[in-house]
Amino acid sequence: MEGERKQTGRRALLTAAGLIAAGGVPAAISALGGKPSGSRQRAWWVKAVDRPTMGQKTSQFKRFSGDNIFVIYQQLKAQRDGAGSFEAEQAAKAKRLAGWMRQSKPGFRLPDHQLSEGAWTLMKSTEAGSGLLSWTRIAVNTPAELGVARHVASPEEMAKTVKAAARLYGAGLVGIAPMNESYVNLKQGKKDIVFEDAEVPAVTDKKFVIPRRMRWVVSIAIPMDLDLLSRAPTSLGDAATGLGYSHSAFTVASLAEFIRGLGYQAIPSVNDTALSVPFAVEAGIGELSRLNKLVTPEFGPAVRLCKVFTDLPMACDKPVDFGLVEFCKKCKKCAEACPSGALSFDDEPSFKTRGPWNNPGHKAWFEDSYLCFQHWQQVDNGCGICLASCPYTKAAQAWIHDVVKATASVAPAADGLFRIMDNALGYGRQHDPEQWWTRNPPSGARG
Amino acid sequence: MPSDTDTLKVTIRKRPLWLWVLAGLWVLLEILFLQTAMASAREGEYRAAAISWIAVGITAAAGVLVGFLQGRSNAPAG
Repeated sequence: MEGERKQTGRRALLTAAGLIAAGGVPAAISALGGKPSGSRQRAWWVKAVDRPTMGQKTSQFKRFSGDNIFVIYQQLKAQRDGAGSFEAEQAAKAKRLAGWMRQSKPGFRLPDHQLSEGAWTLMKSTEAGSGLLSWTRIAVNTPAELGVARHVASPEEMAKTVKAAARLYGAGLVGIAPMNESYVNLKQGKKDIVFEDAEVPAVTDKKFVIPRRMRWVVSIAIPMDLDLLSRAPTSLGDAATGLGYSHSAFTVASLAEFIRGLGYQAIPSVNDTALSVPFAVEAGIGELSRLNKLVTPEFGPAVRLCKVFTDLPMACDKPVDFGLVEFCKKCKKCAEACPSGALSFDDEPSFKTRGPWNNPGHKAWFEDSYLCFQHWQQVDNGCGICLASCPYTKAAQAWIHDVVKATASVAPAADGLFRIMDNALGYGRQHDPEQWWTRNPPSGARG
Repeated sequence: MPSDTDTLKVTIRKRPLWLWVLAGLWVLLEILFLQTAMASAREGEYRAAAISWIAVGITAAAGVLVGFLQGRSNAPAG
């Protein structure tokens, strides 16, 4: 009798366990917001807020020169180490890379390097204002040519339509922000970027003209391939960057054509024309982090940002808060992982910029991009260790990542523990470059 | 067949609520660790996978042990 009682108890327990497993876990996961990355709906722990989580002094905003970090680094290098030092560094880098290829150094072999070069193809063949990134239509028929009126809907419906198209073309995350002229560069190459009361965008010999009626910005995050990024800093890691940029070029070009096809104007932009990060922050794509780069709740900092400016009226999104700033205050894993010492160890973000590569007017953990780029010259095209080491950079396979992120957003007291766990579990360490070629299939963990 | 004079005493003890909650948590933890172990291997995070498998084992052993001790403590005296 006693045995039967015990058996009944065990059966009940097993039945209960089965019920919990069948119904409780999915419910718990759903409650925790364990949705696939790139889902249309954000997890509940990503909260919309009225202002970006980092403080701003809008009166200090000024338009960025448009000189990218390559140009700034070249100028500073010449100032600090003398004329010709940049060219000498480039020659030494090329020689070192060739040596690594001859020695078949893992991650820097010829196939590794050319994999990266192939990934960059689309991005390297684009130029602001022409070709794929044309400011006027490439091939799409306008509604007038099709004999129909242009598409009209409420701003909310328009936003949904444009976001659906952006996702189809490759956006992992997409949001709408209002145009802010302060975020648009003063120059693109040698040409001025100006705002005029024009009907259509124009590119002339001397200037790029953005019509003032283009008051909306579609901000897009393209997820990077984590399988490649986890091999940083190698040519394989750089392939993740190149692929992200090439996907960005395709996505914004396609979306711009789609918008033009609806009867509106569109300007596609990758790294050119304007700063991507502030628009992405205002569109609720993510928060500004210790990296002084955007970190998204879904993909961490492992994204490439791009945008499309348009006169198509859309409902704008709000910035988000998922507890990142508090997490960054305690974590500092990226700063510790950075081989060049470019990232800040300060406990609190500040308004104090660190060089001409930074733009004032907002709080941040400003980085030393000179040191960062100096390190880039020691590897292949880029580094990427900071992106790979961030605890928010996770392949979206294990549920535990969502549990941790959700908990961090509501209970910052646990942030320190999560940082310790992240290290203990071995996240953020470089994966074997050789192994990538034998992965089946050799593609991103995000699929 | 027992005779009319035989008596059969059946004792049904209701498990307290906290025990059910504990059992539910244990099952949830097991599933979470198991999923993490399998998914981490797919992510290429082999250290995380190994540690998760250890966590699965420890949690399972702890559950079995607690269940066994609970069963003994519920057993009628004598």
